[in-house]
Amino acid sequence: MAKKIMVVDDSATLREVVKATLVKAGYDVLEAVDGKDALKKIAGQKINLIICDVNMPNMDGITFLKEIKLQAAHKFVPIIMLTTESQEAKKQEGKAAGAKAWVVKPFKPETMLAAVEKLILP
Amino acid sequence: MEMESARKTFLTEAAELLEEMEGALLSLEGSVDNKELINVLFRSAHTIKGSAGLIGLDRVMHFTHKVENVLERLRQNELYVSDELIGIMLKCKDHIAALVQLSCNADEELPVDMLTEGELLHDRLAPYLETAINIAPANPAPEECSKAPCYPEPVQDTPPSTGASNWHLSLRFGKDVLRDGMDPLSFINYLSRYGDITCLTTLYNNLPDAEEMDPESCYLSFEVSFHSDFSKQEIEDVFEFVRESSVIRIIPPHSAVQTYVSLIDELKEDKWKLGDILVKSGAITQRELDEALKKQQIQPSDEKPYLGDILIKEGIVKREVVEAALDKQGKLRGKTSAEEGKTIRVDAVKLDSLINLVGELVIASGGIRQHAQTVKDGTLSKSSMLMSRLVNDIRDIAMKMRMVPIAATFNRFQRLVHDTSKDLGKNIELAIKGGETELDRTMIEKITDPLTHIVRNSVDHGIESPDVREAAGKPPKGTITLDAYHDSGSIIIAVTDDGRGLNAEKIWQKALRRGMVDPDKRPHDRELYNLIFEPGFSTNEEVTNLSGRGVGMDVVRRNIEMMRGFVQINTVEGKSTQILIHLPLTLSIIDGFMVGISGAFYIIPLDMVVKCFILNEETQRLAGDRGYFDFRGKIIPYINLSSVFNGNGGGRHSDNMVVVQYAGQSVAFAVDRLYGDVQVVIKSLGKMYKDLQGISGATILGDGTVAMILDVPGIIKTVQTSGKKE
Amino acid sequence: MMVNIDRNRSTHRLKVEGEMTIVNAIEMKNALLDGLKDCSEVEVDLSNVSDFDTAGLQLLLLLKLTAQKLKKGFRIVAQSESTMRAIKLFQMEEEL
Repeated sequence: MAKKIMVVDDSATLREVVKATLVKAGYDVLEAVDGKDALKKIAGQKINLIICDVNMPNMDGITFLKEIKLQAAHKFVPIIMLTTESQEAKKQEGKAAGAKAWVVKPFKPETMLAAVEKLILP
Repeated sequence: MEMESARKTFLTEAAELLEEMEGALLSLEGSVDNKELINVLFRSAHTIKGSAGLIGLDRVMHFTHKVENVLERLRQNELYVSDELIGIMLKCKDHIAALVQLSCNADEELPVDMLTEGELLHDRLAPYLETAINIAPANPAPEECSKAPCYPEPVQDTPPSTGASNWHLSLRFGKDVLRDGMDPLSFINYLSRYGDITCLTTLYNNLPDAEEMDPESCYLSFEVSFHSDFSKQEIEDVFEFVRESSVIRIIPPHSAVQTYVSLIDELKEDKWKLGDILVKSGAITQRELDEALKKQQIQPSDEKPYLGDILIKEGIVKREVVEAALDKQGKLRGKTSAEEGKTIRVDAVKLDSLINLVGELVIASGGIRQHAQTVKDGTLSKSSMLMSRLVNDIRDIAMKMRMVPIAATFNRFQRLVHDTSKDLGKNIELAIKGGETELDRTMIEKITDPLTHIVRNSVDHGIESPDVREAAGKPPKGTITLDAYHDSGSIIIAVTDDGRGLNAEKIWQKALRRGMVDPDKRPHDRELYNLIFEPGFSTNEEVTNLSGRGVGMDVVRRNIEMMRGFVQINTVEGKSTQILIHLPLTLSIIDGFMVGISGAFYIIPLDMVVKCFILNEETQRLAGDRGYFDFRGKIIPYINLSSVFNGNGGGRHSDNMVVVQYAGQSVAFAVDRLYGDVQVVIKSLGKMYKDLQGISGATILGDGTVAMILDVPGIIKTVQTSGKKE
Repeated sequence: MMVNIDRNRSTHRLKVEGEMTIVNAIEMKNALLDGLKDCSEVEVDLSNVSDFDTAGLQLLLLLKLTAQKLKKGFRIVAQSESTMRAIKLFQMEEEL
């Protein structure tokens, strides 16, 4: 059974690129535009990995992370946060909230794939 | 192809975002400081930059990055909205739009008017960016943005390591990795893409019994033998996400050591920094360098340990590689710097035997000098004087060879302070000064325990908890300072904390309860403070498991006195406590003053002797009866040493007096004969005699006779306690 | 039921169903240790294990070590693809 990955980012371009990359590598990909949307979509699903921007409208990444860590079904799901070099403080905040992996934006698709493959078995 | 479709999506997305930007900019005009609008602006620029980079539109990304930086400064209130800035921003938005159009339609060079417009805007943005660069150096250089590390292709500019090679990886995963979603299984699976795992040992000896085992904690660690042609950096990157929570050690194959050495040799760059040379050769990774530098940074500017030493100590790199790099560094500098390369390492045992032999030499040359004086041979006298001087010089140099900087000892306390303060919920910083001060190696070994105790006491009793500190108007973070310096022939180690200080009244009350003081005579505060060094004294109401029940400070004092040193305490209530440890420069050779008691020779350390003189019989008998003596208008205890050491009160009268002073206390000793100053090598008496009262050691004189070294602090203490009892 | 325990003989057969990961580690631990009670030997059937991770492997180890401590037998009688892969990666074929 293919592993399921949730991509949360407000940029449609980003989601599209990430999805294309991961689908090609054999993963199932779900998309959400922000934290609220993501929470709704993962409810009742088994998710293997979450990729999530830290800077989003509505429910931002950090709030989303904290929310995830409260859900019994999802609290142990590995999370890759998307940050930029200049957002060191945000990155630390994200780590504290439970996202221990990260990819710095902008990134090459293969960088994202490498991060995913470190965290979950194919 | 998915990239094409991604570009189309980007085009629409960017158009929307740019429109949003323009709307926000226009609404911002006139309104003073609208956080929400600035956030919208920032987010739009941020998203455009990110998406552009993702699909390879580098021009859009670079320019938008600059705009984003200015917006970030607005967000952080480092800049304020002005009409001029809004004007520039609107132009920038137009420029981004133009770039987006162009980049998406063609990949060729930009038209000239676009280039000039871009440069113009860049210049206009510059003043808004200037400090931003200083404040946030983390802003990436544009070309680095697109060069995020990717996986399994050996990056060209990292050197290849040797063909056949086994790396050793030691993976101690943190307890929480599983809870964090980090599965060691996946990392090891991923690692196998970088080479062959020739042998993997799963260690589960940390797995507790069934009842105690928390199935969500990780108890496993792994030792991996790994065959790979990838660089250390690339292998380390596999564990990037668990580096902070786990201990990951990557030991290069033995053959790689040689490779690093030759690579270092071949480096053409004129980089001077040791760290850069090591990273460049692949011997260490940037991350390892950064961590080592951080450790170095903790030290104050002029006492930093060498970077190479830190790296070697942590087992990150082999000594020979560091030496090769240092050598290279010297060559690159065009001159071999005087200090580097001129040190050699000597086995401490060899050094100790050298010191011992020099000690014997001092004794032997003393014998010759004495003999020359007796036979009254002029030539022999002259030669023996010269020899004595040379022997003394050799002695001084030999002693210096055994001196080591105290920095390493001090640095050990970083961890102690860090851990213990954490246990106690306190926030404490350890500042280190005078790390370059050199102490005799044997003394350093002996000082560590007492120092540990004092530092612990400061952490435990000295520094208050953050809320108490804040209530007292102090910064919540406490500071403990370790300092070492020379002061008139002795070494002083100072432990200072900015904690609550000692409370004289509390000590007085406690001393009363313990019956340690005379209730009618409250001593000066200064003397009260010294009571904390008395056995069984503790001022803290609650006993913590850290520094225990006040057992220890007395042991501290004893240990320091055994080194012929003493402890002093300065404190300001509510503000600070300072404990000063005075130590002699060296332990094994001292200048002494020789006296004769009942036909035997005794040595009093010269620096404690204040005066010696002959007493007339009358005064002497009076002093003997009273047990005290009037010295320069001060009443000081009088002790007839021949009665101390002979027990039967002394057969003959002792009319020679030696007044000694130690830690502010003077005592007059009556002795039979005064011989004068001698230089002696202290020999320990061995375990059999360790409880001997009044004697701290022995020495062998030039003619082979044994002389005892008086334990002045011990004798003074005995006098004080017996005085109190009476 | 994540662990089916066949208690018919003095050898208990524990058949794990579904995932054996950090997600259900606490319940899994209790279930496995429960299967160890009142028997002289356990046989573990992992053929129906879907997901298996380090937490799952730790539990197998715990079960084995606990069994040894109680002088009881421990045997893995069947594996699934995911358990085999993990045990192979950790080079624990001899240990388990």
